[in-house]
Amino acid sequence: MKGISFGQYYPARSPLHSLDPRVKIILTLLYIVCSFLCKNVLSYALLLLSALLLVALGRIPLRIVLRGLRGVLFVLAFTALLNVFWTSGEVLLFEWKFIKIYLEGIYSAVFIMIRIAALIIGTGMLMTYTTTPIALTNAIEDLLSPLKKLHVPVHTFAMMMTIALRFIPTLTEETDRIMTAQKARGADFSSGGLIARAKALIPVLIPLFVSAFNRAGDLATAMECRCYHGGEGRTRMNVRHMRFVDVIPLFLIVAFGAALIVFNILAIGYTL
Amino acid sequence: MSEITVEKLSYFHGKDTPYEIKALDGIDLKIQKGMITGLIGHTGSGKSTLVQMFNGILRPHEGKVLLDGEDIWKRPKDIRKIRFRVGLVMQYPEYQLFEETIYKDIAYGPKNMGLSESEIDERVREAAEFAGLEPDLLEKSPFDLSGGQKRRAAIAGIIAMRPELLILDEPAAGLDPRGRDSIFQNIAEYQKKSGSTVLIVSHSMEDMARYCERLIVMSGGKIMLEGNCREVFSHADLLESVGLDIPQITKLTMMLRERGIELDSSVYTVEEAFEKIIKLYS
Repeated sequence: MKGISFGQYYPARSPLHSLDPRVKIILTLLYIVCSFLCKNVLSYALLLLSALLLVALGRIPLRIVLRGLRGVLFVLAFTALLNVFWTSGEVLLFEWKFIKIYLEGIYSAVFIMIRIAALIIGTGMLMTYTTTPIALTNAIEDLLSPLKKLHVPVHTFAMMMTIALRFIPTLTEETDRIMTAQKARGADFSSGGLIARAKALIPVLIPLFVSAFNRAGDLATAMECRCYHGGEGRTRMNVRHMRFVDVIPLFLIVAFGAALIVFNILAIGYTL
Repeated sequence: MSEITVEKLSYFHGKDTPYEIKALDGIDLKIQKGMITGLIGHTGSGKSTLVQMFNGILRPHEGKVLLDGEDIWKRPKDIRKIRFRVGLVMQYPEYQLFEETIYKDIAYGPKNMGLSESEIDERVREAAEFAGLEPDLLEKSPFDLSGGQKRRAAIAGIIAMRPELLILDEPAAGLDPRGRDSIFQNIAEYQKKSGSTVLIVSHSMEDMARYCERLIVMSGGKIMLEGNCREVFSHADLLESVGLDIPQITKLTMMLRERGIELDSSVYTVEEAFEKIIKLYS
């Protein structure tokens, strides 16, 4: 269990790493919108290019980013196949009994693959690979802070997320320890059927929950001892100020989206 | 009676990563049977890693662990059997309790061994007595017990497997002085009555001097000293150089000797010192 790295954060020095996390969240949302604006060959080519550009800007080895795609390889292949067989169109390429494959099907399969891959790479590059979980939580808190006017406990939620993230390595270590202790009493986690294996986990889960609750209680006491009383009047030690360079990417992504819309309206790019 | 021997044992934490650390460095060792041995070392000296090798929780990267002359990793599928023969009580074992009652929790190990109901019952009661748990505690929930009682319940959970070798990693850590003494006395009594081999890991020189016949001192993943108390504590300077110490009372009698008081230098407990000083002046 040891050595599990949490999340995908990849420490490096790059323009993307130093970009304001709040901007990165907005960029991510806009990037998702852009990916759905793509309707023709030119747009998809640009989308794929933009994803690769993000990888280059984040200075993360392409190998590592592609490894992140491995998990969704099955989904990618499955959706692509569905599109190949179930899209009907005008140009029939292949027919055998009930199977009909159209040129449009091939196109839409390729498009959907590019869209999913670009979405995963793009959002990953903008957020998880280049931003620490804590920075991300702080940014979400900042972006949602207008909701405080509506009495939404934004700070509380952000604090909950921060604490949850902070304790993942601690709980991993704890799980490791308890598993070792039960193994010393002959616990067997790696043989038997599904039910036997699930049952074998009970001696791990119960002590883990108990200690997690105890820890939560202790933490609450410790926070109260330091006069924590929620978000009101609370300030940050390191306050991020928006710089001009942080705004430039926003202009770029808006321009990108506008270009895609123009392509669609004027039907530029090879449309089917 | 079985015995554990290790040959040229090495182990790396985070093997094949940039963070690789050599935790054990070519250790040759034999645990003497039928007595209590103490394993002493500073934090990070590799003692906990070493004891987790003995029951096959960790697998050595180099070298062998031999139980009765046979490599415990000869048949990796049977490693569970080794764990029943070599009982390991981990640090702060009270966190492993999970059953509704203490009785059921102590029975977890024997149940995993596939023993009969009556055999389990006998072992649970015997183990509880060895660990110093009153019989009426057996039906209580682990969460109704005090810290010291939970510790005893967890130790009983290992003793109930009737291991040939019992290893306790810091059995008294975090207990008050009375709790410490009483746990160590229970362990000593258990050893005497069952005749089994016991290995205690600790960094308290006082406790080790009082209860162990043999001492093994580890430092930097290697065995630094090995022998009985007299032999080990005669290397006071060496012990101090690795952040360990000799018992305070031994230090005191040494200082008294330097001032010309005719005291034996091999005094390791306050009681011994008391007797010897009384004798000197009566």
